[in-house]
Amino acid sequence: MKQTNAHMERQIMNKRKRVFSVQEKKNPKAVFAKRYVSHLVPALKKINMNKPSSQINSKSFEQTVQHEVDMALALSAQEFAWSRFLQHKLLSSPHEDPSYSSKILETSSCKQDGKEGAEIKKKLKELQKLVPGGEEMNMEEILSEVGSYIVCLELQMIVLKSLVQDNIS
Amino acid sequence: MLEGLVSPENLSLSSMDMNVLERLKWLQQQQQQQVVSQSSDNSPELLQILQFHESNNDELLQSTFSHFQMLGSCFGPSPNMGFGPSHEAMDGCISRTSSFQMVPVDTMGVMLKNSEENRTISSKNKRKSEVKRREEEKTEKKIKVEAETESNMKGKSSMSNNTEASSDTSKETSKGASEIQKLDYIHVRSRRGQATDRHSLAERARREKISKKMKYLQDIVPGCKKVTGQAGMLDEIINYVQSLQTQVEFLSMKLAVLDSELELAVEDLYVKQDQTVIIQKLLIIFFLFCYEFQLQAYFTNLPVVNASKPSIMVDVPLFPLDQQGSLDLSVINLSQTTSTEAPSASWETQSRSLFNTSSLGFHY
Repeated sequence: MKQTNAHMERQIMNKRKRVFSVQEKKNPKAVFAKRYVSHLVPALKKINMNKPSSQINSKSFEQTVQHEVDMALALSAQEFAWSRFLQHKLLSSPHEDPSYSSKILETSSCKQDGKEGAEIKKKLKELQKLVPGGEEMNMEEILSEVGSYIVCLELQMIVLKSLVQDNIS
Repeated sequence: MLEGLVSPENLSLSSMDMNVLERLKWLQQQQQQQVVSQSSDNSPELLQILQFHESNNDELLQSTFSHFQMLGSCFGPSPNMGFGPSHEAMDGCISRTSSFQMVPVDTMGVMLKNSEENRTISSKNKRKSEVKRREEEKTEKKIKVEAETESNMKGKSSMSNNTEASSDTSKETSKGASEIQKLDYIHVRSRRGQATDRHSLAERARREKISKKMKYLQDIVPGCKKVTGQAGMLDEIINYVQSLQTQVEFLSMKLAVLDSELELAVEDLYVKQDQTVIIQKLLIIFFLFCYEFQLQAYFTNLPVVNASKPSIMVDVPLFPLDQQGSLDLSVINLSQTTSTEAPSASWETQSRSLFNTSSLGFHY
């Protein structure tokens, strides 16, 4: 959705009033972190409880935990396209389907013709593979999604690190 | 004779439902009629058109009648945006307009017969600046009296649907009267000497969008600022994303190990209230570290994550946000600011050091 400049200005004004305030609800990263934690921790608890301790099959357990981790990520950042893709992928099948048809990257015109254009295309293709759902985005979309994806990954890491550290200590 | 233009058929074409083919047909009709009658007396009618157009600014836009507006060519990187310069320059360029005729028909639209016809479609949103755009058809070239028009407009898909089949833009950078269409475009300013092709303008606008996004990513990904060129930056971004992903994997593995071995008593860690405590502690730490200008940088760069509003802007917004007051957690900015305290290059060690220094104790 596009917002008008006036609306953005109002937003800015509202934010000005909230200097130094620690309001979780308005802070997007805090919102994300909270959501993430609230998704992941009960899932971990459930895993822990449902699994009888004698059957610690580490590989599948790891996979389950990883699945839950990713799922928590996807659920906590519903606003972005990549999170929807990720969710879809996690829900549908545990196995990746490598036969994506990478979309418009090929048809999009080169920014820089010549060798550089080819290089950039290659890198964009790689990026496509990294970002969930990237196979179906064209170049501009990927660039916008990558930013939010990176930030959410970082937040995820913070939460996970804190979880791990506090379990160790 | 001109009144003949005002046929019910034409009026009926004013709705937006008219499809491309009809518009094309209509245009061709116009051209044919054009060939028949032309006059060279233009200026008073032109003024009329201008006044008319100015008055019926946006309401008119539903019609598909052609308009003819004069614009002075704005060459050079003039920062002016909006309709300001166009109006001033309009009068000055009237003399250079190619011949055309105007039929003041009714308040719904104005029918013009001229060598260059344009169509108006409702303009919806953003206009960065005005761009001259010329749209010519091959047939019109024969008719055209004066060749001194130059304008180009970057068109969105609606535009291309309408006019692609019917127009060729020719590249002329000479000064002269030019046309503007009221279409929902992103306007790109064309400079003197640059190709004012529709395609090249579209390319340029696209490139600008992309470069803006790359700049935004540059601020997010650490170490990207030193690298120049898009390929290098993309490299950095890819590496960063990969490293983040592997770290997440590693951490989740670790968590799984801990979970299985220690039989993680998760419930001890997280009672509902404790979650807020954790978040608050996180917030406080980030707040202490990164309130500085980094907040501003963050907010200009990442309004995408503005999840407070239900409507999330997924695009990187193109307008600058000047002063942002609210607290934002920015990990990268955080790592940059912690470098003053723990001078280490990699962000990994920085964030780790952050956690070591922070006392995020959970209550058991």
